[in-house]
Order: sequence, then C-alpha cells, then structure tokens
Amino acid sequence: MSAKVRVTINGRTVEVPAGTLVTDAARAAEVHIPVFCSHAKLPPLGACRICLVEIGLPRKDRDGKPVLGADGGPEIAWNPKPQTGCTTPVSEGMVVATDSPVAVKARKGTMEFLLVNHPLDCPVCDEGGECQLQDLAFAFGADFSRMSDAKRTFVSENLGPVVKKEANRCIVCMRCVRYCDEIMGEDALTPHRRGVRTEISSFDRQPLDCEQCGNCVEVCPVGALTALPYRFKARPWDLRQHITICPWCSNGCSVRLGVRGTEILRARGTERRGVNQEYLCVRGRFGYGFVNDAARLTGALVRPPGAAGAGNALEPASFEEAVAHAAARLREIAARDGADAIAFLGGEKLGLEEQYLFQKLARAVLGTNHVDSRTRLVAPLPGTAFLKATGGGRPSISLDELGRTKEVLVLGDDLQGESPFLQAVLLRGQHQQGVHLTVAHPRRVKLARARFGGVWLGLAPGSELALLNGLTRAALDLGDPLPAPSGGPPPAEVAAGLPALRTALAAWTPERAAQATGVPAAAIVAAARRLREAPSRAIVFGRAYAEHAQAAALLQAVENLGWATGALTAGRSCVLYAGPHSGTQGALDMGLAPDVLPGYVPLADAAARAPFEKQWNAKLGAAPGLTAPEILAAAAAGRVKALWIVGDEWVRSAPDRALVEQALARAELVIVSDLFLTETARRAHVVFPAVSFAEKEGVLVDCERRLQRTARALAPRRGAKSDGEIFQAVARALGAAWSYRTNEDVFREIARLVPGYEGLSWATLLPLGPQWASEPARVAASLRPAADERPAAGEGLWLLSGGVLFQQGSLGHRIELLTRLAGAACARFHPDEWKRLGLTAGDAVLLEGPGGSLTLPVAVDESVPPGAVFVPYAHRDVELNRLGSPGGAGLRVKASKAGIAQRTGV
Amino acid sequence: MSGAPAPHTAPAGPVGPVAWPSALQPKVAEALSHYPNRRSAVLPLLWIAQREWGWLPPEVLRLVARTVELPDAEVFGVATFYTMFNLKPVGKYHLQVCMTLSCSLMGADRLFQHLSGRLGIGHGETTPDGRFTLRRVECLAACGGGPCLQVNEEKFHENLDEAAVDRLLERLP
Amino acid sequence: MTGPLLFKDIDTPGLAGLDTYRRVGGYATVLAVLGRQTPDQCIEIVKASGLRGRGGAGFPTGLKWSFVPKGTERPKYLVCNADESEPGTFKDRELIEKNPHSLIEGMILAGWAIQSNAGYVYLRGEFGWLQKILDQAIAEAYAAGLLGRDVAGTGFRFDLHTHLGAGAYICGEETALLSSLEGYRGQPRLKPPFPAVEGLYRCPTIVNNVETLVNIPHILGQGAAWYRQWGTEKSAGTKVFSVSGPVKRPGNYELPLGVPLRVLLEEHCGGMRDGLKLKAVIPGGSSVPPLPASLLDTPLDFESMNAVGTFLGSGGVIVIDEQTCMVDSLWNLMRFYAHESCGKCTPCREGTYWMTGILERLERGQGRASDIDLLADLADNILGRSFCPLGDAAAMPVQGFLKHFRAEFEHHVGQRCLANRRRDSRMGVPA
Ligand SMILES: Cc1cc2nc3c(=O)[nH]c(=O)nc-3n(C[C@H](O)[C@H](O)[C@H](O)COP(=O)(O)O)c2cc1C
Ligand code: SF4
Ligand code: FES
Repeated sequence: MSAKVRVTINGRTVEVPAGTLVTDAARAAEVHIPVFCSHAKLPPLGACRICLVEIGLPRKDRDGKPVLGADGGPEIAWNPKPQTGCTTPVSEGMVVATDSPVAVKARKGTMEFLLVNHPLDCPVCDEGGECQLQDLAFAFGADFSRMSDAKRTFVSENLGPVVKKEANRCIVCMRCVRYCDEIMGEDALTPHRRGVRTEISSFDRQPLDCEQCGNCVEVCPVGALTALPYRFKARPWDLRQHITICPWCSNGCSVRLGVRGTEILRARGTERRGVNQEYLCVRGRFGYGFVNDAARLTGALVRPPGAAGAGNALEPASFEEAVAHAAARLREIAARDGADAIAFLGGEKLGLEEQYLFQKLARAVLGTNHVDSRTRLVAPLPGTAFLKATGGGRPSISLDELGRTKEVLVLGDDLQGESPFLQAVLLRGQHQQGVHLTVAHPRRVKLARARFGGVWLGLAPGSELALLNGLTRAALDLGDPLPAPSGGPPPAEVAAGLPALRTALAAWTPERAAQATGVPAAAIVAAARRLREAPSRAIVFGRAYAEHAQAAALLQAVENLGWATGALTAGRSCVLYAGPHSGTQGALDMGLAPDVLPGYVPLADAAARAPFEKQWNAKLGAAPGLTAPEILAAAAAGRVKALWIVGDEWVRSAPDRALVEQALARAELVIVSDLFLTETARRAHVVFPAVSFAEKEGVLVDCERRLQRTARALAPRRGAKSDGEIFQAVARALGAAWSYRTNEDVFREIARLVPGYEGLSWATLLPLGPQWASEPARVAASLRPAADERPAAGEGLWLLSGGVLFQQGSLGHRIELLTRLAGAACARFHPDEWKRLGLTAGDAVLLEGPGGSLTLPVAVDESVPPGAVFVPYAHRDVELNRLGSPGGAGLRVKASKAGIAQRTGV
Repeated sequence: MSGAPAPHTAPAGPVGPVAWPSALQPKVAEALSHYPNRRSAVLPLLWIAQREWGWLPPEVLRLVARTVELPDAEVFGVATFYTMFNLKPVGKYHLQVCMTLSCSLMGADRLFQHLSGRLGIGHGETTPDGRFTLRRVECLAACGGGPCLQVNEEKFHENLDEAAVDRLLERLP
Repeated sequence: MTGPLLFKDIDTPGLAGLDTYRRVGGYATVLAVLGRQTPDQCIEIVKASGLRGRGGAGFPTGLKWSFVPKGTERPKYLVCNADESEPGTFKDRELIEKNPHSLIEGMILAGWAIQSNAGYVYLRGEFGWLQKILDQAIAEAYAAGLLGRDVAGTGFRFDLHTHLGAGAYICGEETALLSSLEGYRGQPRLKPPFPAVEGLYRCPTIVNNVETLVNIPHILGQGAAWYRQWGTEKSAGTKVFSVSGPVKRPGNYELPLGVPLRVLLEEHCGGMRDGLKLKAVIPGGSSVPPLPASLLDTPLDFESMNAVGTFLGSGGVIVIDEQTCMVDSLWNLMRFYAHESCGKCTPCREGTYWMTGILERLERGQGRASDIDLLADLADNILGRSFCPLGDAAAMPVQGFLKHFRAEFEHHVGQRCLANRRRDSRMGVPA
C-alpha cells in the first residue's frame, strides 16, 4: 500500500514501507534493537531510551538532490544526538547504526541507569531466565557497577489475587499502565508520584478492581509484576512450551502452555503471535487447572442393565467393554425403533476432526440425522442460519481489521463475558484507531460506558426485533442496499426481497421503533446513519441472539440490517457471529446440525449429497433430523430413546431443566463423553472418559472462520481417550471400516470432501491459518421481513442473563481462582427495583418462572434496567434453566424477598 | 506583605461517599465550564476539594473522579504527581520553606532549622495540636526575596530571618 | 523599579486596575490592531521585531506563530506559560501581579494574530494568590467588553481562563504543560508533532511565556523598527533579568539585551553585599552552566552567552559569592532536578537520583576521586539522551560546575566541606 523506502541498518539494506519505525525496520534487517517501553500494540512512547541509535540522512543540495561523497555514495548527515528507534519513522536513504560508538555508549548508559535502582535479586525473581532486563544486562551491560549509593526502595504488595508487585524491580516502562488503559479499558493501574519515586499501583493501593486478565504481568519486561498463581512454581527453563489455541471462547487466541512433567503450570500469550498477539483474558491465562484436576475421569463407566433406574449405579468398565456395550445398545435400539430414535447432541467444544466424525457416526454408521451441537437453542434454527446472517460465507474481515472498522454495532451480548478478546479488540480500536461503538443491550455493559465514547442503545428487554427492524427501516430510508466495492450489484436475492421488506417495514417508523424499544427515535436514526455512512462498519452478535426464543427472526433481521447498511457488501466491513465456544463455528462447518452435511451441504440436495455417500459408503437420509430443542422435547416424550451427549453439561444448559431431567430419565440409553462425571454423566448409561484440549491436536475454527492448528501439550491422562478415538471405536464396533490413525487423516478426508475446505492441509494452518471464504456464497442470501410477535413467557420482571467473565460453564467451576473471583451469583436489580422490592444487602430473593423457582442472594446494579433482574448463566451457583424455558420474546419471572441469603452449594 | 493567611478548615477526613456541598456546586460547574472536556477540570476540582476538606482523602478523590468521569485510579495518579495536593492531613498552617539555591544562598537552611526547632517537627510533620505542618519545598519564584516561605496558598513571605519568621508565627490567629 | 518598556509604568499605583492601565495607554493597541491589521500582518511585524521567546529557549516568536496551520476548521489555542518554576526566575510573577492587563492585552493580540478564540494562562500551583489577581483583571476585561464574544466591538471572539498547576517544575515544559492542562499527569509528550500543529486537545496551539506576550502590545502598537531600538541585531528588545543571591539590590531589572553582566550586577544591583566577593554567576536560570567571575563582562544576549558556553535562558541571574561551596550548590540544584524529574524517561529519572547521591557524598567528605569523572560521565550520558530538556537542564550545570570549579570538587574528595557558610541541610534524597 504505502510506498517502500530503503534503509540501511548496520550496513544491511532493507526495503520497508515508508513510515515504518526504525525498530521494526531493524527487525526486518535482522538487527536487534532492544526496547522496553515500546510494545507492538501501543503507540510509540519513547520513554525508556534503551533503543537509542545513531541515525543519518542523505545530505541534500538546494535542489533536493543527494550530495555525493568522495566514494561516490550519498553523503550522510548524522544527527549529532542519538535518536530513539522506537519513535523515529524511516525515510528514503536513512542510515542507522546500532554499533557505532555513539549508539553503544547511549545504550550502555541507559542500561546502567536502568540498573541504578533495580535490585540484584534475580535468583529469587520469577522473571529470571525470561527477563528482558537480565538478557540485556548480559548482552550489553558492564561487568561491574559504578553505582555504590543506596537504592531507593518500595515495599512489595499484592494487587488482588492475580498480580504480585515488586516495585523495586520496576523500570517505569508504563507498558502495564498503558495496556490496562488502552487495550483493556480498565485503568486499574496508575503510577503514583513521580520521578524516581514513581511506583505503579492501584487507586489508594486497593486490590485491583478489574478483569484480572494478567496482561500487565505479561507485558512487564521485568519481574516487577508477576502472577501470583504461578509464583515460585517453576523456573522457565524447566518448562516445555507448547503453543495451542485457548479453549475458552470462540475468539481463537493463541496460548502458550508451560508444562513440567504432566502438569500445566502456566499459560501465556506471545507478542506478535496468533490473532491475539499476546493478549489473554483471565480464563485463558488462569483457566487451565481443570486439565490436572484429580477428579478427571480415568476410565469408562457403564450402568449395568437392569430394572430401569432401580438403584443400579454406574460401574467402572474397561474402554472395550464400554464400547461394546454402547454399540450393542445402539444397534438394538436402531433395530427396534429405527435410527430416528437416536440423537447426537453437543460438540461445540470438540476439534474440527472430531466434530466431523461425530456426525459421520450418526449419519453414515447409524443412519440418523438427529445431530445438533447447538444444545442451548430455545427454538429450532436451520444449520445455515448463522452463516447466512453473516454473509453466507463471503469473504469477511479479521478481528485485527475489525479493530480498525470505523463503526461497530454490538448486538445483545456482553462481550466481556462472552468474547473477552473481541471486547479488547474493540476497546483498543476505540482508543487507537477511532472506532466508534454502538452497543444495543438492555444493560449498560462495559463497552457501553460513557468513557469509551460510544452510544448505548439501552433497549427494553424483549424488544430486540423491534430495534433491528427500526434500524433496518431507517437504513433503507437512506437508499437501497449498497453495491459491493467492486461495483457489482448486491445478490439477486437481495434485490428480489427488497420490495416486500420495504412494505413490511413501512410500519417500523423510527417513532414506532422508539415506542417499542424505549430508545429515542433520533438515536435509532443516527445509529442507522452511522452504520450506513461510515467508511467501514461491522455488526457483531453472539449467543444472546442465538439462544433467543425469537432467534430465527432475529438472525433474518440481522441479515437484513447487514445488507441495508452495507456491512455485508462494503469493503473492510462485516457481520460477525461470535458464538459461545471454541468449536462453535467448526461444529456448524462440519454439519453438526440436523439439516446440513459438512460444508453446509443441504441434505435434501441429492447431487450435493452424492460425494458424501460415496466417500462414506452409506446411503444418507434426505430428510432433516430434529434440532436440539426438538430432540429435547422428543426425548422427554419418549420418542427419542438413545442420546449421545458429547462434552456438554446438558442438564444445566438445556433451556428447560424439568424437561431435560425428564428426557434423561426416560431415555433408554444415554451415552456421555466428558472429562468429568458431570451431572449429565451421572444420569448416563455409558460414560466415556475424554481428554482435554491440551492432550490432543487438531483444528479449531474461530469466530472469524479462521482455521488454526491446536497442539498437544500433554500426554492423555491415563485412561482417557480422545473423542475421535471414542467415536472410531464405537463406529468399528458397529461394523464401520474406519481406520484413521490420527486426526490429520480425518482432516485429509475433510479437505477432500467438504466444500470450502478444499485443498487445505495441516501444514498450511501454522502459525495462523486462513479464514475460509467462498465466492459465490455457500448459503444464498435473502432479504425478507422478520417478524415474531409472540409475547414473553411468564409474568413479572424480565429475566436478563448472560455470560460473565469469571464463570463460563462447568469447566470454569473447577478453577478455584475463577470461582473465587466470580463470587456468589446474585440476582441483580436496578436501585429502583431494589427499593420497590424492599431489599436490603444480605437479603435473598425468590425468583419464580413458568418452570420452577430459584432463591438467590441479591445485589444492586445500576447497569440493570428497572423492570428486570439480571442473573448470570453458566455460574456455578445458578441453574437458571430451573425457571423454565423462555418463549416468545423472552422470559419473565416473579421476584419476591425471601429472607436472608443462604448460599446453596452446587 | 499580606496580612494573616486564611486557615484551612480543620482536616475532616470524610469516610464513605461524599458529595459536593451545595455551596461549592457553582464553583464546580464554573470550573467545568472553562474547558471543552470534563477531564481538564481535574486539577481545578482537586483544588476546590482540597480547599474544602483541607486534604484529599480517597473518598474525595473518588468524588472528583466521578465528577470528571474518569477512572478513580487515573485521578489518583494525577493527584499524586503534583506535590501540592495533600494526600495526608496537614495542619491549619502549612509552612512551606523554599530550599532551592537562591534562597539557600540567603539562609533558607538556617531558617528551616529554626522553624523545625521552634515547632519541634521535621519535614512533612505536623505539630501535635494540628496547627502547623512544616515542609521544605523547591523554588517558589521569589528568589530575589530569599529566604522565603509560603503559608497555605497565600502570597509569599520574603526576606525572612529568624526574628521575622517568629513575628509571622505569632501573628497567625 | 523601572525599565524602558515592560516595567516603565509598573509601579504606578493601581496599575492592576483597568482604569489606570487604560490611562497609561493600555488596550490602545487592541483597538488599533483588531480588525484593522490582518493576522498575517501582525505575524510579520512580530517576525520583523526580532522578538524571541522569553521562557528560556529563545525561539523567534513570529516564526513560531507562523507555524499554526491556516484555514483549518479545528479550534486553535493560545496558552500563556506562567509556570515560572526555573530556579532564579521571578519576573513573570511581578509582571502579572502588578500589571495583569498587559498580559491580557498581549494575549488578545496574539490570539488575533493566530486566529485563536480561546486562551489559557497556566500558573504554577504556588501562584493561587496571583491567580486571584489575574482572574480579577480578566473579569474587569470581560465586563468592559475586551474579552468574550465581541472583543472591543470588532466581532473577534476571545475567551480567557486561568488554570492553576499544583507543584511541578516540569509543567513549565510546554508539552508537559499541555498534558497538565488537559488533566493528565504533567509529563512531556513526544515532538513532533509540535504544539503549533497539534497541541492542546490535539489542536494547533501556541505556548508563549508571560514576558514574551507582554511585549506584544508594544511591538504591534509601535512597530518593529521602534522595538529594535533596544537590543542587538539577533537579540532584539529588552529582557527582564531576575537577580538573586547576595547582591545589594536583588530584584527584577528590565534592560536592553546586550548589556554586560557586570553592568547589571554592579550598576543596577549595587554590587555584592558588603564583605562578599563574587565567585560565579548562573546567568539564565539554574539550568544553564555558571560563569566564573572572570567572564563578568560578557554581554547579556543570546549569542554572547552561547559563545562563553552558557545560555541566556530565562534571565534568572543567580549570584554566588566566594564563601559558598560549589559542591554544595550543585548538590542543592541536583536535589531540585531529582525532585522535579517527571519520571518518564530513564536517564533523567535515574541519573538525577544517582548524581544527587554522589554529590551528597562528596559534600559530606565521603567522596572518591573517581566520583568526579563519574559525575562528568553521567552528565554526558544524560545530555541529549533524555526525553525532554529537563534531563539536559540537570546535566548542563554539572558540566559547567566541573568545567570552571573542578578544583573545588577535587578538594572535597575525602574531606568534609568547611568553607560553606551555610549549614548542612541534610535533605538527603528528595521525598
Ligand atoms: C524543564 C523546562 C521547564 C520550563 N519552564 C518554563 C517556565 O517555567 N516558564 C516558561 O515560560 N517556559 C518554560 N520552559 C520553556 C517552555 O517549554 C517553552 O519553550 C516556552 O513556554 C515557550 O514560550 P516562549 O517562546 O515565549 O519563550 C521550560 C522548558 C523546560 C524544558
Ligand atoms: S511494572 Fe513493569 S510494565 Fe509496569 S512500568 Fe514497571 S517495569 Fe514497566
Ligand atoms: S523529565 Fe522526564 S523525560 Fe524529561
């Protein structure tokens, strides 16, 4: 893009884009310029002065022509003062020296100054061995110290449960403070005082009240900030490092596991690597303890046949016995009730290859199309719904580009809990790239805070569809859907749907939308205008819409808005679905949905089905199977008799607790593969012990549809099997001729067979795989009215829920640090509601929904709107699905004071 | 030389959330009105607060942070950068003796020691009766009148010697 | 005290009031210039006058103004630097205290020249009492229609506010000043971009010293040629010298640039106090190297000072007598710089701390012979390596003291200083 210039560094000439900083140009020339205050994600600061180099420019004559020296080369005018390489952009003909006497003296001088007050406590410093200051002292420092006076000293302190601070070691590079502010949007750290007394700490030295991400520790180049959970656990040279992908959400962060023996001792990011480029959230950094949890399953369990439910307990069995038993029972049920009596659920946490095998087992071996990974869906959705809403597989943008998009609309999710890295991308974009945020959420979530300069559309709960319709109408009032940047018209289906959509939206005037949503009409019109007119724009949504009772209509409405605003057509724009799990996108890609084969191939399309039938050597049913909510109902009604649930705590996460209990009780055969004896597994007839993310390799597809390789960091826990091995063993027991030696074999088959994945191989996925895309789109677009006027279920307050940062599902409950940080799950009320209910601190509240009730401690929370109650989901202490399934536009519950809170256990 | 300096109100040290007293609200609004963004008012508001409460306890810093819509920590970082904000209570009369070269040439060190001896306190200390805090400060821009001293925020007292400073202390109400 | 220009009427009773100021000709230039001369003409006149910044760096004022981009939609700001924290300097205080309207008038005119509609005066925190005086004058000017929406009926809008710092020398550095004005810790910012292009609130901003600005009404009122009757070719006009130390009559003296240092000290200040002999003079505020008595005939102008290895700086002239210990003096100054270092960059933060420790040891008789070269080398490692000129300001005096008074430092090695007539202050490390 920008013009290239030639720079010579220590005699090596490289060509780099104009404006590249000298330090980066040096990297290209393979010359090492040390830095401390400079960081890839932060604007240049120029404070630490370790990167001082000597810089010269070609001398120019009056006409701007370079003056030639005696040797015929251009004469160089050297700047008399050394310059900071981290702040100086290169220009044509620039000459840089890091090895000249001036540069060497400057660097040594700074090095010496850095050690003036730095203690020589390397032997007891956790940073030892990977301390940048130590490395530099080794490389450039003097072998004796001229500093013999007393050092200034601070006392060390713990800044909360994560950060240990040893201020004497601090070199005041400000990386931690700036990262906390500019990337995390937290501002929890601040320098105190000034000069040599500068000390990084918190407000009044209180424990940090923040996301506890530990990125401050990560970016600290010395041992001033270290991680308390890792303190004194290991020396870095004793650790094996394995880079893999974080299992905690769909953002696909690259994580470096430090392993000693069979134990993971820490997780870190890596600067300039992965989509996250070093960032990790608290879960990614500290949420690996479950891998070494003593409670992990170490063998299969089988419930011996007998009188149904009559006290016959799960008993240990060999893997082979369990496989044989599962296969026999599946065969029996299929023979007796037909394959349609079997359903496969889950798989959003599996790797791509296992996802592929799971549905292949269901479809090709057993002959059922009842497969669905989307176990939390409340209402049926086609398997193509998410891809269609995001453009049908057309090329999208990366998270990195998303951070440079000028206008971003975030719909429904609190990204802090659901997609922490995505939130960080947007916050950094807001700070550094002028990203403007519009957040449509009933609660004033973090991204919607005034400090981030965006606009909060605080819609009334249950009015999501009205808001989308209002926005779409306002956007269409500004003109027809925009053409692609190439000038091509929008797809024919879009043009075709336009008249009907316009007619349907005629009623959705800004005023009507305002009335329905409580968002001012002007704010709706302005948001639509920003989206439509910004140089680039993006719409982001996640599980809040996916798991909404009106999901089908909402996803269509998102798509409509995407076309109407140009988010789906314009350059550097996108509609992004950030699903709940690391494998959410992969599961959809691999056909873990009842109506599509891998690659979104419709089951009903005989021609498209054919290659699969040939490869799998099976006849596939053309009729779509049941979706997860339908399977739930069918199992509860006794129509589905066998369930295989993989890596999913269905009892807690299916939308209706009473129904799921009934389904599990009624089913003749429940097979569960998991790491732990979960509540769901306790109700199973066969339990397979599965391995964790750290014990297997494969591929994950993140929310930007990027394929990334995962790596095995540990040998599998004794007795546990990878899900792929389990599926293959059962398939073979059922007579299938599967013979995959590794997941790579499976991936080869995928690359041969699955549209969109053609030609890929594991080798192409490192370090950062491609984002798959398809032109023409894999799923056809449609522009179509989106309506669903069903009212909410229940009565009383709106139940608002969502993921919270410190608790995200059953694995999180096993991480002591996370549960401690999460604290008790409270029902949160707006101060007005709090007053209305006559609550005082320490009270408990009884919430009653159509399906049951819950008693919870209470908290005041100004971010919750009046007329609603917020309860986190996936929190250890709440089983939200006891209240019943939301129907229509959401769920309402009755709230009443229930005396003093008593913490109930798990 | 100006008359008796206005005393600080006695250090109160509020705990728990505080609010701007209604009498100060116009001043707060006025300070905010001087700038195109709220953040710029952070120093003026810290001053208003310090004049009201005598020092800046954490709750007051939080109040300022709320008012300018900044994170608490950020305001803490700002307040501690500058030396004139008192993060601990100070006496009714804050005696700030300039010790930099010009004043030192004219006897500031002797003056400071005289005060220290007379009040029985050292640098940064407060007399037990809460009347005086003594502090060495850097150049006050009164070099031609050294040695000099500032009491609270009042105009400097210049050309001081032991006798003059004694008279000054005795005049204080 | 009097002077030809800025101090001419300074002791007129009531000058701080608008009526008196007007009686001595105040605001006449505003009336004569606003709407009658174009901004460009004003900048040209200031350029032609040869006026150079009086805050210390001596940058040509008209040239600086001409860097403000023209025709942008963004607001432009004028900021008066009244931080006056350079040890030895106390002129701006007197100018504002006695003649606040001359600053207001200068700012209105400068605002016009750069087409800024808003000005701030950044006063150091210890000037709370002075802020009241200036605010009072500003209120008078508003009431008289000289500030606000329609300055003197010309349709030009100019708003003016004061802003009080809170104790930080570094806030005199222009970018640190802007950080402080925006509500940040007062730390300097990267240049470029320079404030004239991207300053306050990232808008074009001119920062000028008080004395620079109070010259403006005279220059625009009487013309560049008239102004050039004082001073030298390259150092035009008058300068206020703040003299401190043991001379008979310390204080502010406004004199034409180019007047020899000796004339200032002997004729105007009445020479040394009885019984004292001059040893050294720091001619431009504590940040510049000292001159020994032998160089007393050097003219006080930018070039002549540079020629003898020092700077005119802010015009804060600190006189040091024979009985004063130079090691102790340098220790005193180094404490100041260590106390005032903002902490942003390594050489300044750590170097000033380290040098303070070494000087303390030397002064206490615990020094080593190698300490002197160490000091010199540390100063060399700071000079030109720090983020902002505060580091240089700490290093340059070290070099100057060592250059002219090395023997005194050598004499201190291993022996406690006895010559000092001041008591050991035992301040130790700044806290
Ligand atoms: C450490 C440091 C302190 C300074 N202090 C002051 C000051 O107190 N007053 C001032 O006018 N300029 C001071 N300056 C100079 C300013 O940075 C700036 O050059 C000046 O305000 C420009 O105004 P002028 O061109 O009118 O002189 C200081 C510079 C430095 C590096
Ligand atoms: S704590 Fe670490 S990251 Fe923060 S300023 Fe100090 S050295 Fe830098
Ligand atoms: S004083 Fe901190 S960099 Fe200059």
